[in-house]
Amino acid sequence: MQQSVTQEYDYTIVKLFSVMAVVYAIVGFLVGDLLAWQLTFPELNFDIPYISFGRLRPLHTSAVIFAFGGSVLFATSYYVVQRTSKVRLFSNFLSWFTFAGWNLTVLAVVITYPLGLSQGKEYAEPIWPIDILITITWVAYFINFVGTLARRKERHIYVANWFYLAFIITVAMLHIVNNIAIPVNMTDSYSAYAGVQDAMIQWWYGHNAVGFFLTAAFLGLMYYFIPKQAERPVYSYRLSIVHFWAIIFLYIWAGPHHLHYTALPDWASTLGATFSIMLLLPSWGGMINGIMTLSGAWHKVRTDPILRFLIISLSFYGMSTFEGPMMSIKSVNALSHYTDWTIGHVHSGALGWVAMVSFGALYHMIPRLWNTKIHSVGLINVHFWLSTIGIVLYITAMWISGVMQGLMWRAYDDYGNLVYSFAETVEAMHPYYFIRSVGGLVFLLGGLVMAYNVFMTIRNANKVPAAA
Amino acid sequence: MQDHKNKIDPNSEVETTGHQWDDDEGYPLKEFNNPLPKWWLYTFYATIIWAIVYWVLYPAWPLPNGNTEGMLGWTQKKQLAEEIRVAKEAQKPFDNKLASLSLEEINKDNSLLQYAISGGKAIFGDNCAPCHGSGGVGSKAHGFPTLVDDDWIFGGTLADINETVQNGRTGAMPAHLESADGAFTQAQVNDLAEYVLSISNQSHDAVKAGRGDTLFHGEASCNACHGDNGRGSLKDTFDGERLDKATGAPNLTDAVWLYGGSRETITQTIARGRTGKMPAWGEGFEGFGRQLDPLSIKQVVLYVHSLGGGQ
Amino acid sequence: MKHATIEKSIPLMSILTLLMVMVGGLVEIVPLFLIESTIENVSGVRPYTPLELKGRDIYIREGCYNCHSQMIRPFRDEAERYGHYSLAAESKYDHPFQWGSKRTGPDLARVGGKYSSLWHQEHMRNPRNLVPESVMPSYSWLEKDALDYADVGDRMSALSMVGVPYTENQIKNAIADLEAQATPDSDTEAIMSRYDEKIPLDNFDGNPKKITELDALVAYLQVLGTMVDFSSQQAKAQ
Repeated sequence: MQQSVTQEYDYTIVKLFSVMAVVYAIVGFLVGDLLAWQLTFPELNFDIPYISFGRLRPLHTSAVIFAFGGSVLFATSYYVVQRTSKVRLFSNFLSWFTFAGWNLTVLAVVITYPLGLSQGKEYAEPIWPIDILITITWVAYFINFVGTLARRKERHIYVANWFYLAFIITVAMLHIVNNIAIPVNMTDSYSAYAGVQDAMIQWWYGHNAVGFFLTAAFLGLMYYFIPKQAERPVYSYRLSIVHFWAIIFLYIWAGPHHLHYTALPDWASTLGATFSIMLLLPSWGGMINGIMTLSGAWHKVRTDPILRFLIISLSFYGMSTFEGPMMSIKSVNALSHYTDWTIGHVHSGALGWVAMVSFGALYHMIPRLWNTKIHSVGLINVHFWLSTIGIVLYITAMWISGVMQGLMWRAYDDYGNLVYSFAETVEAMHPYYFIRSVGGLVFLLGGLVMAYNVFMTIRNANKVPAAA
Repeated sequence: MQDHKNKIDPNSEVETTGHQWDDDEGYPLKEFNNPLPKWWLYTFYATIIWAIVYWVLYPAWPLPNGNTEGMLGWTQKKQLAEEIRVAKEAQKPFDNKLASLSLEEINKDNSLLQYAISGGKAIFGDNCAPCHGSGGVGSKAHGFPTLVDDDWIFGGTLADINETVQNGRTGAMPAHLESADGAFTQAQVNDLAEYVLSISNQSHDAVKAGRGDTLFHGEASCNACHGDNGRGSLKDTFDGERLDKATGAPNLTDAVWLYGGSRETITQTIARGRTGKMPAWGEGFEGFGRQLDPLSIKQVVLYVHSLGGGQ
Repeated sequence: MKHATIEKSIPLMSILTLLMVMVGGLVEIVPLFLIESTIENVSGVRPYTPLELKGRDIYIREGCYNCHSQMIRPFRDEAERYGHYSLAAESKYDHPFQWGSKRTGPDLARVGGKYSSLWHQEHMRNPRNLVPESVMPSYSWLEKDALDYADVGDRMSALSMVGVPYTENQIKNAIADLEAQATPDSDTEAIMSRYDEKIPLDNFDGNPKKITELDALVAYLQVLGTMVDFSSQQAKAQ
């Protein structure tokens, strides 16, 4: 009986998205590390337009956030919603449609960005035809996800699905509003908004791409994979209710903290700062619920590298969601804004939280999808340590360079005159850019180890006859 | 699945909600019904109170055509005005002296000079260094002179530097090659280049250089600007008269070159000519950057003078 | 209402979620369109000329905003380093805005007129020739690639549909104005009368024979931050 239920699930689509997640992880990390080396040795731009920093940087951010992160979310949400609803995905067609739509989007991005086709809004660079493709794909995703939930065989919707649902709804709203533009031709368009309003809308979008794509959705993922891997009940149902509603309400307001001390009016900036501070505890609710789920099962962390991935990701999550509100305080932001500190903060979240929790989920899911065992637990361990060392190198280098540059820009001598020219502050960054590049390389190596491990796992599974 | 109210998890003594998901294989998903952690809840309340206090004190909420202004009356623009006022106040004693004394007088007053150099360095770093290099060491690109050596084009006295910064300079080397609207053939241009190579002690073709010598002091009248000995408008003479140093014709006999001293580059310079432009930053401000006020100009002049090449 | 009710109903959960996530945006965004003081009342800010507009498109194409901000903050050090803090009015015709979020390179909000066009030419060819510390890529292709400006009028029409006040006359004469701005020896009376007396006129790429992408980009850079006259009383009041 159990077996038959399991076999009803559509695992094919989950498998496809999982494999693409691994592929896009490698692409995204590779481009990221190339960029890091370009900032260390600018000659590595090679005077070639298609790979110059300004065109490649959006490719890196889109590849890691939307291609890698997006594929992980499609894979896990399709996996989780089926298993927690005990029903097959709503529509085969829509599943395939979302797979095709999302990967076509990624392909279009990989082609257009190096050609210099860009809307010129950070994290929203895709040109308008790609934006339409994303919108259609997203609507299909919403219908498929909700359709599956609607047929669930459990009366209550599991908490992971609340987060996935909020993510799908909110990202749709953000994407559509931020990308309204007037086309000039098939590739170019101008944003419908200008100046200060455009800035506010862009960071309302940009911050909540972090909030809902990289936080809420991955919390959904966490709420499934941590209890499942730790084999313990979720710590507190009540906490999950309070922190869910608090997080989705408060997060949206935090956008203006990207615009402190700009031409954005003071009042909006204040709202951004205060809501960011109020966001701290609701964000931490997820970490508490995840980590406390392990109470009574801590010994497992010593032997289970998958659980270790999941738990360290929550530590980075807790750190980043503390650091974020701190950086949104105006006086701290005055120092950190425009510097590498922001880059370090983003990567402690993106590498430490998003990537690590994704790795944990993929290692949990892939053997189950292919009904086999992971090729090598040892290699998961190797990946864990490479990732951790890489992240630590990366973010400490960026903390130092960010704080240092921020202080150098405003350094005054005893006479009250500026001490450093801008160029001198750039020169001072060089050693840290080098360390960052090495950190990124170590992290990328970890990704390659994972890719090998996943490849071997799938190959071994396919060798064994299904009947066995 | 049915609701089982408040089940006890067999592994612990805390109640679960009784709901269960994904229980076909592996560990079924369950939820404890633990209360909110107290420290979490109270800290959350504290952040909300902090936010409310902040809203009362600072501009915070939009209103129809305005916003709540906050009890402190703070705005970021007022904060800036105050910051600048305090800084100006602190610099006032120095600035007053700087304004009333001449460049020479300041140059002799060591403590005031240190102040001026510190200010000049700051201004130089973001306004002048992009062309003249950090600390005035020059750049790889041609046409932007280094300021740390003793080789000046328009003069290195305080007065000269002041004139340069205030009103800018234009260095115009005319084109000589026929095809570039000049009056000379390629062969003649080559001869002139060989002559310039010879007076700068570089390997050259003596025969061509000889012909170039004649041209230099004759038909091409290079000596009218660069001087009879090619030592430049600053040091040399033409027909026994001191040259006008505002011409800015460089010394051709040393190893310092504005556009490069190779045979190829010298030939290029003679053939096509060169136009160098130092913008005016003072009274004669002509459009680059922002105009520097008189005190800033004094400081930057003294700084450049201090770089080592001051005469 | 017990949470159990919500978590058993997809429509309820979806609608409540949507309502919750809409509030913040509505409160923060809508007033920016309504409150008049959001954009300062200063004169001088004009739509970009056709050449500057093409230059701005290249600025976006090359992703300059990834490393350069165009937003001077109201701090003493930024005032001394970059000049007067940026006003909202100065980017009111920027679709999209280019305030940026990172200063790997310096702020460019007031780079207009700061360096000669000759400097920009050399700098784009290889930034390290002028600034050895620089980590900026070389953009040597800009001076080689001819500017494709046949569609500049269409671009201005599109922008006028989202609120940039281009006149019919400006759109009609877009190509002629573009060419005139990059050819300072030509008759520039017309473009100056259509835009402003003090628009930058130069052979921006140093090559009089051809209008290149570098012409457009440098023209754009040369106008940045120069439109508002900060010595005027009106601007001082802001």
